[in-house]
Amino acid sequence: MKKVLTATACAALLATASVGTAAAEDGVFVGHLEDITGATGFVGKLYGPGVADALKYINEHGGIDGTPLDVESVDYAYEVPRAISQYKQWTSRNHMVAMQGWGTGDTEALISFVAKDKIPVWSASYSGHLTDPTGKNPKTQKPAPYNFFYGPSYSDGCRALAQWADEDWKAMGKEGAPKFIHAGDNHPYPNAPKEACAEYAAELGFEVLPPVVVSLKPGDFKAQCLTIKESGANYVYVANLGPSVVSLVKSCKTVGTDVKFMANIWGGDRNTLAAMGDDGEGYVFVAANAFWTDDVPGMKLVKEIAGSDEYRTHHYIRGVCSAYYMKEAMEWAKANGGITGENIRNGMYAKKDWVPNGLEGVCTPSTWTAEDHRGMLTASIYQGHVKGEEISIEKIAETTLPRRDDWLGY
Amino acid sequence: MATLSMRPCGDFRTTYRQDTKIFDTRNSRGAMVIFLAALYALVILPQVVPALADAPIIGWFADGYFLSLGIQFCYYGIAALGLNILVGFTGQISLGHAAFFGVGAFSSAWLNTTFGIPVLLCIPLAGGMAAVVGLIFGAPAARIKGLYLAIATLAAQFIIEDLFIRMEWFTGGSSGSLADTVTLFGFAFDNDQRYFLLTLSFAIIMYVLAANLMRSRDGRAFVAVRDHYLSAEVMGINLTKYRVMSFGIAAFYAGIGGALYGHYLMFVSAEAFTILLSIQFLGMIIIGGLGSVMGAMLGTIFMVMLPEFMAGGVSILQNTEWGNQPFIINGLAFFREMAIGAAIILFLIFEPDGLAHRWKLIKAYWKLYPFSH
Repeated sequence: MKKVLTATACAALLATASVGTAAAEDGVFVGHLEDITGATGFVGKLYGPGVADALKYINEHGGIDGTPLDVESVDYAYEVPRAISQYKQWTSRNHMVAMQGWGTGDTEALISFVAKDKIPVWSASYSGHLTDPTGKNPKTQKPAPYNFFYGPSYSDGCRALAQWADEDWKAMGKEGAPKFIHAGDNHPYPNAPKEACAEYAAELGFEVLPPVVVSLKPGDFKAQCLTIKESGANYVYVANLGPSVVSLVKSCKTVGTDVKFMANIWGGDRNTLAAMGDDGEGYVFVAANAFWTDDVPGMKLVKEIAGSDEYRTHHYIRGVCSAYYMKEAMEWAKANGGITGENIRNGMYAKKDWVPNGLEGVCTPSTWTAEDHRGMLTASIYQGHVKGEEISIEKIAETTLPRRDDWLGY
Repeated sequence: MATLSMRPCGDFRTTYRQDTKIFDTRNSRGAMVIFLAALYALVILPQVVPALADAPIIGWFADGYFLSLGIQFCYYGIAALGLNILVGFTGQISLGHAAFFGVGAFSSAWLNTTFGIPVLLCIPLAGGMAAVVGLIFGAPAARIKGLYLAIATLAAQFIIEDLFIRMEWFTGGSSGSLADTVTLFGFAFDNDQRYFLLTLSFAIIMYVLAANLMRSRDGRAFVAVRDHYLSAEVMGINLTKYRVMSFGIAAFYAGIGGALYGHYLMFVSAEAFTILLSIQFLGMIIIGGLGSVMGAMLGTIFMVMLPEFMAGGVSILQNTEWGNQPFIINGLAFFREMAIGAAIILFLIFEPDGLAHRWKLIKAYWKLYPFSH
């Protein structure tokens, strides 16, 4: 019996010790949600460290003009409820001023929370639903005044791909209307661009086929591939990412579908291509920033942040860009009335076509305004080539879409 | 309180009145009342006098983190109690409790946003809706039991989970639905202190109801069905009625817990109600003590605190030189799952009667101190 009591007492002591880590008084708190172990962990493992390393580097080099950042990175395993309870804990206990977020499900669920609490969020979700801060477009479900992201929205990325596919179709000299199909899970992330992109593809003259549901968890997708094959699709928009995409492409090769796979920004990178092997030849995907091997002035800073010369994917670099846009907005806020959520948001509107200091050539110049949170409408389109062990990624197009009002928030 | 375990030697009851007592002694009842009253007072105090929120011990009762744990104890505790009525008292098995929990959460949000029914009323209504679903999926219990019933409830778990994604009008589909916070006559329970008091009140009501149920005719019928269904039938107990009814009551409790969960998070998403949560509910009642009302709460507290301890332990390890390894830090999520499994196994081996039994032993130890055997 005594043993039990001692054990209980020890446990209680441990509890008080572990939860007694209060936030530093002088810094500002930034929450960082990442997914390492969840359904999107494949790219979460690449992007999360980009943000974390950048924030660490910022702290080691003077913070926000002398104000240190108090950062907590939490792996929420891509589960929306966990993200929300973590968010609530950060706001009530840590007085969070800004957040680096992750998935579409949680970011969209948090829209009204962050708007109420005035906490700007830089998500790694590029859902078009996050781009209308005032609800100007009647199609917008919810105005999202405190949501930002660096990159083209999923919808715009997919539109750019549709445009590329249209040109590609014509360049190949084929007749008739090409067929376009959306392949992704029934999940907020793959669903985000579904309608918007299908609408634009139809506008371009594609025949848009009913979407195919492909699970985010990898599996045997031969059944889906047979559906794609029988439907006669020419261009498949891959809305998932990582292992799921790899199994989709491999399954489709097995059943012999003759299609071009075009992936959203998360669906393509060196690691994904390596996993696909030879089946990944010709795989097309969107990117929003320079690659590790590009010779641009800002890459020096990225390499310093990474702390090694080991190859990092474009996701990592996008994480760095996202953290640095936040940093500069915070610096503006500090100079203009203090680091509060509202001031940080206004800091994002302060400049036009801007790139954070030191990242020239890495991040694509972006503009956010109080009425339009589409930072950029330019999507770079890359194609992977795989020959045995050798992987090369080639830029094949850069598409800039018009800033159409009816595309805002959608 | 009624428990699964046998009464110890020398513990005689000479009247029915004594036999149906919820608290064994007047002191233990008094202690519980004082404890709950103190809990209310300590949480209300920093609300009324904000200066006290930073005071040493009272400050804990204003701390968002501790309160959020308290809120979890309450809503999971209510749902776990429901499962304990089904598993611990009636001897049925359910692997679909999380689905009923989810039905409660979605129903309450749906009733509130679609019909504008006040949230406080939506919560019991959601319990009712969950109970109806529970009765439907509990119907197989009329015919099958044991492992077969476990599989039937497992099917319920997956069917309902799938419907959560597909029934967009009801659940908002894969993007989930928003749930309003609770308001009563213009008073919003919108921060952790207030919401804790609300969930605590719900928990007290539900626990008192369950304790009372167990000393009623129906409650004794449940225990009879569990202990020996043939004898129970011979005595004139309608097995079908009580088995299905037990499912309904369990789902009702799950629905109330789920509704409180939904309005606390203010957002409901299908991802939360997986088979893992069902297993966790089972873990709660096994660890707490099957067939014990108080055990459901003790088990819930254990299960909610376990991951927090794991996170605390990992963060301590992280600060040591040898412990700061990526596999430890990144492995936290896996450690959690493993710890839950390990806890269930260890409890089954070393403490099959659960924490409720251990609590009794602790009480007996102090009562007889220093002459305990």
